[in-house]
Amino acid sequence: MLRHLLRTVNLFDTAKTALFLCFLAACSGRTGNEQSQGLVYYESYDPRSLDPALSTDVPTGEMVTLLFDGLTQFDPDGRLLPALSDRWTADRRAQRYVFHLRSGVTFHDGRPLVAADVERAFVRVLDPQTRGGRVWPLLPIVGAADFAEGRAGDVRGIEVLGDTAIAFTLTEPLAVFPKFLAMPVAAVVPASPPADLGQRPVGTGPWRFVAWQHDDYLRFAANSTYWDGPPTSASLTVRIVPEPLTRAAEFLAGRLSVAEIPFGETVKWEREHPDWLHRKPALRVIYVALNNARGPLRDPRVRRAMNLAVNVPEILRTVWSNRGVAAAGSIPPALGGSDPGRKPYAYDTAAARALLRAAGVSDQGFAVQLWRSGTNIELGRVAQALQAQLAAVGIRVEIVSRDASSMREAVRKGDTDMAVLDWWADYPDADNFLYPLFSSASFGPGGNYSFYSDAVTDSLLLLARRTVDQGAREALYRRIDSRVFAAAPWIYLWFPVDLWAAQPSLAGWDVAVIFNGQRWTKARVAADR
Amino acid sequence: MLPLIARRLLATIPTLFGVLVVAFLLLNVVPGDPVAEMVGERADSATIARLRAELHLDEPIPAQFGHYVWGVLRGDLGRSYITQRPVLGDLVERFPKTLQLAGAAMLLAATCGITLGVLAAIRPGGAVDRFSMLIAYVGISFPVYWVGLLLILLFAVALRWLPPSGYGSLAFLVLPALTLGTRSIAFLARMTRGAMLEILPSDFIRTARAKGLGERRVIGRHALRNALLPIITVLGLDVGNYLTGSILTETIFSWPGVGRYVLLAIERRDLPAVQGSILFMSVIFVLVNLLTDVLYAKADPRVAFD
Repeated sequence: MLRHLLRTVNLFDTAKTALFLCFLAACSGRTGNEQSQGLVYYESYDPRSLDPALSTDVPTGEMVTLLFDGLTQFDPDGRLLPALSDRWTADRRAQRYVFHLRSGVTFHDGRPLVAADVERAFVRVLDPQTRGGRVWPLLPIVGAADFAEGRAGDVRGIEVLGDTAIAFTLTEPLAVFPKFLAMPVAAVVPASPPADLGQRPVGTGPWRFVAWQHDDYLRFAANSTYWDGPPTSASLTVRIVPEPLTRAAEFLAGRLSVAEIPFGETVKWEREHPDWLHRKPALRVIYVALNNARGPLRDPRVRRAMNLAVNVPEILRTVWSNRGVAAAGSIPPALGGSDPGRKPYAYDTAAARALLRAAGVSDQGFAVQLWRSGTNIELGRVAQALQAQLAAVGIRVEIVSRDASSMREAVRKGDTDMAVLDWWADYPDADNFLYPLFSSASFGPGGNYSFYSDAVTDSLLLLARRTVDQGAREALYRRIDSRVFAAAPWIYLWFPVDLWAAQPSLAGWDVAVIFNGQRWTKARVAADR
Repeated sequence: MLPLIARRLLATIPTLFGVLVVAFLLLNVVPGDPVAEMVGERADSATIARLRAELHLDEPIPAQFGHYVWGVLRGDLGRSYITQRPVLGDLVERFPKTLQLAGAAMLLAATCGITLGVLAAIRPGGAVDRFSMLIAYVGISFPVYWVGLLLILLFAVALRWLPPSGYGSLAFLVLPALTLGTRSIAFLARMTRGAMLEILPSDFIRTARAKGLGERRVIGRHALRNALLPIITVLGLDVGNYLTGSILTETIFSWPGVGRYVLLAIERRDLPAVQGSILFMSVIFVLVNLLTDVLYAKADPRVAFD
């Protein structure tokens, strides 16, 4: 066989043929996946599923938001808006909510939406058989925890009021509950969902499912009967593009409608394409969790000294391309409850040394480990900068670089001294920063990675959750944030500002402060008009 | 030949079992919790404990291994913890795309690499030799991700001849195949040149020329044929590596192949997906090695098999 092959195949001719094929391929560039047409968004990795019950990460949550509706929703600026429920009422204590369903809403298969769909959808999320992993937004409902643990046959706190309304009774008052219901996991699926809902979803959302090629792209078509009017564009493609620099190239080649600017390229894009750029303060905070239960970090004076020893504006400028605002607390400035008057810890190494001495730290200082995720290059650079600056006050930092999964496990178990981390909002509310990050009920997996424990903070957090009046609630959050800031359970770094480029031809799109705030319903490519 | 293949296939069974054991133990030793990856950034401890129990992760390791091996024997690689889809289905969906990329890269590497090597060997020290060895140095030295990004910037952004990334028509294949094949081109060129230089001064080449054979025939049929063994070795190793997924190339070019699947599975500690992928890749590697051995025997009957 090989002899025959060698006789007949002339290497030189083969090389020529290969070159010709390349040329042909180059000429037929337009015949590939025609994703340069219309709206093209991207995700950095394939969604888990298109089943709302499995939406525990950003790509899944964003795709679910296109296909499904919740009872409530967020706009790109993070405001809570009605969705499948056009109005809702709460009792005086915010413990029993009644959501009235919008009339005339149908699923993509034409079936009308009724209140029983909402009930079944929530029960499905809580059902142990679903194995979704994110049940906490629904756990405040009476009986939800028992049902999720298999101790009860139904969820007592859900009450279907005919076809058009549904009531939820909560275990305790919770003012932010309507925001929980805008999260993708609380999206409404049909009462009898198809077996392959995760692959062929049927929702009520603005976009209908068309196709999903795993690790490649998802395609959606406008839902012409959408209750809020059909999306402006006929179709939306979401490509899976893992590499940030490739995304930038795809954008420059006109094959993505928008792209987040890679960190290393910030200055270049600001210089070359300032008109394409969109900025928006993100509901996200970058911080170093100091383990408040370990060694010298138990002392608040040591933790405050560490904050004073770090030159945040300099790290922000050099490592983060100035894409952020120095943090004086943990609540992003865009949220109610943040205090614009509070000043960040000033960079003052002399004061830091004095505080360390007052805390009984010898002149030799002490050694700590700072964990960073090896997959996050930017946070790795932040860790190096912190190491250098803390060394100046005698704190010897050893950087431990691990993959994200190993690091998460160690941080949650409390096995780390310090860890450079970020926190993204699940819902736009100060509660989403303070309760998971500082309540002692949230130790470890719940989000309190600094193991900060303060009885006063705990009781104030519960009081705020129960407070219905928005002004009073925000005042409480300001108070809690100030109290925690003074105790310095973190090294407070910054609130990032997102920087995206949008094609000049794209209209009706804006960077969303929260991942499920952009549903692409108003977006259009100008040439489509 | 057939008994040889049968014997080799039988010998793969213990190899694959060994792979299963090692992969399983390694995944259980490394830190990181699959359930933590399932539940996301904020979770309650009760949910985590319940999921661990449901996935049998709280059982002793031998029991977990027993569950897994029993599944594999029935042809069931399990379902991904994260996506809840069958692992085998995910691999079968992605493998043809990896095959396509690997095939294109190897075709490119074989044609360009061997051609460059032969041309270089014909006149050692000449202009062609120097040029092709320069290409070979460059190809071996430059990292894949750098070459890939450079090709994207040149052909997709500056010239706009080709799409930067994605999967689709032949145009989408050119840049990733070139990126993936560059190292092989370089390696094959050097390998071919070396082997040819050893063979060209041989007596039988002189005899062939003395017989009055054309230079093309002398080089192509007599010299190259005898230089094939090391070339097949390199090709076999590279094909094995490419078929089991080329993580960097697939990531840079958003190519939906096996490499990216495995990478994501490892990052998320998706045990069934990682174990299934390792087993799948081992089978591929073993088959490619077998094919290489068969080609050895075809190319050079002197290679003795007992």
